[in-house]
Amino acid sequence: MTEKIIICDDSQEILDLIKIVLEEEKDFYVETEIDSTKLISRIKTEKPDLLLLDLWMPKMSGKELLHLIRNDEKLSLLKIIVISASMDGEDVSTRLKADDFISKPFDINELIKKIRTLLER
Amino acid sequence: MEHNIIIDNPELNVYLAALDSSNSGIIITDNRLSDNPIIYCNKTFENISGYSRDEIIGHNCRFLQGKDKSQTERYEIKNAIISGENSKTVIRNYKKNGDLFWNELNISPVRNAHNEITHFIGVQNDITKNKKLINELENERESVNIKIAERTKALQENDNFLRGIIQTVREGLLVLDAEYRIVSANNHFLRTFKVEYNDTIGKILFEIGNGQWNIPALKKLLIQILPTNNPVIDFEVEHDFPHIGKKIMLLNAHRIEFDNEYSDRILIAIEDITERRDIENRKDDFLSVASHELKTPLTTIKGITQLLQRSRHKTIDEKFFDNLDKLSNSVDRLNNLISELLDTSKIQSGYLRSNKKSVIINDIIKEAIEQLHPTMSKHRIEYNSNKDYSVCADDLQIQQVLINLISNAAKYSPDSDLIEITSDKVGNFIKVSIKDFGMGINSDDQEKIFKRFYRSTEIEKKFSGLGIGLYISSEIIKNHDGTIWVDSQDTIGSTFNFTLPIYEQSIT
Repeated sequence: MTEKIIICDDSQEILDLIKIVLEEEKDFYVETEIDSTKLISRIKTEKPDLLLLDLWMPKMSGKELLHLIRNDEKLSLLKIIVISASMDGEDVSTRLKADDFISKPFDINELIKKIRTLLER
Repeated sequence: MEHNIIIDNPELNVYLAALDSSNSGIIITDNRLSDNPIIYCNKTFENISGYSRDEIIGHNCRFLQGKDKSQTERYEIKNAIISGENSKTVIRNYKKNGDLFWNELNISPVRNAHNEITHFIGVQNDITKNKKLINELENERESVNIKIAERTKALQENDNFLRGIIQTVREGLLVLDAEYRIVSANNHFLRTFKVEYNDTIGKILFEIGNGQWNIPALKKLLIQILPTNNPVIDFEVEHDFPHIGKKIMLLNAHRIEFDNEYSDRILIAIEDITERRDIENRKDDFLSVASHELKTPLTTIKGITQLLQRSRHKTIDEKFFDNLDKLSNSVDRLNNLISELLDTSKIQSGYLRSNKKSVIINDIIKEAIEQLHPTMSKHRIEYNSNKDYSVCADDLQIQQVLINLISNAAKYSPDSDLIEITSDKVGNFIKVSIKDFGMGINSDDQEKIFKRFYRSTEIEKKFSGLGIGLYISSEIIKNHDGTIWVDSQDTIGSTFNFTLPIYEQSIT
């Protein structure tokens, strides 16, 4: 079964990289979103199985998005892995709202492992 | 010349002898004769004036005045003689040799049965010595006065100098008395808080400016100063002040000492660190943004490197993959350097926050070893795990310390292949030790290696690095109420140890 994953990050190169990495896995179908303000409506229509979310984005931060998703009845159970370059105390608390966390630069094997573990839950 | 008057009257001779033995010079003038001439003088008068009796008798007293005839005392004497009254004056007179002497002169008239003044008796005392003593005393007093004036001036200058310093420093200074009343405040204080001198001096600190200084934590500290002599050091107050808005102030206060004795005065120095904090924050923000921005391309490089590494194929030269491994290691090193710089900046500004919770130390050690495994080509890590103890710690930060210590152990023991890790319960602490069999650290360097940017010269020659890994580790351990140290012997190896308090509920 193919699992749908949406990646939201403000860097096109990161989006491209993760898309290549995950699509090599064959059983992942990957969509990307560079504009964080469009993410919520895309999740609503595309209903992904998992979201990879960057924290530090212009316009709308990953933290705000986490808050919106977790407080939305229909979206609150979405599986989310946060990806961020910084690991501050603030991020740690955000991490608690997410299902898992991976810091940039990440090991692609670790990323895939985390995604699979979370999807199997 | 015969000085004694020879009178054949034994009774009178006794009187004359009595007059001669007086300490005062005595003359008698005959007022009935013209120009009131001297008709008698005693021996002491001869001694005082230096003239002999023969040179005196017949003269008017004025000869004693020499050329100094303008003294007002002369007229007093003249008036007394005309009116026939007693008089007492001090007048400048001159001896035969011209020397000045101060003559204390008492004149009394002698009247006959008809109440006519027949004679005057002049009693004279040479008070030159007294006068000299008085003059000396006056001179002495004068010079004392001059000295006092000079001292006062010096003190004034000193005072002005100190006042100048107090008014010039870019720190608000206040002096309080035992009732916390403001005794003095410098200009910088008044300017900073936009308050008037009159609204400040004499007022109780906690009451001025609508109680803007009535800050409970500060009050508590200040109240302790006088009874305990405990100073307030670097107390940070963030407060919304009425005229100047929100400010961060750094306060230092202590009891003022005079001659090694404490007075009932408190000196408070107030430094406005709002701007400094702001700059620090902007620096931290900049470093955060910079490291975030640096890590984004690094993520791509690392990811693509890993993708290429995955595509191992027999047709591709093995050397290509060796180079990819080197590239991958460099990316990891660059990533660590960026993280360390960011951490150092956070420690410096006191913002290294720990997200502490109960964690099992064994798990953290195992995770660190697992993470390092791919990078350890040569070294074997031996870990004899102990009972599962929980510590109250930020697992990611402790992991960072372990990774730093284990990587150092490998880095500085290139000729050995073993790293030993142990963890033991020591009192209420868990002690973790990382032992290598490498080059060791000389005793001078052992204390310094935990300092920021310190790298021993020996190491500098052989290995690259920033010298902040151990500094960050020591700050993290300190932040966890533990200690970190090294036991080492040159050429035999080093053991880095750190302790963490055991999570209380797990102590059985």
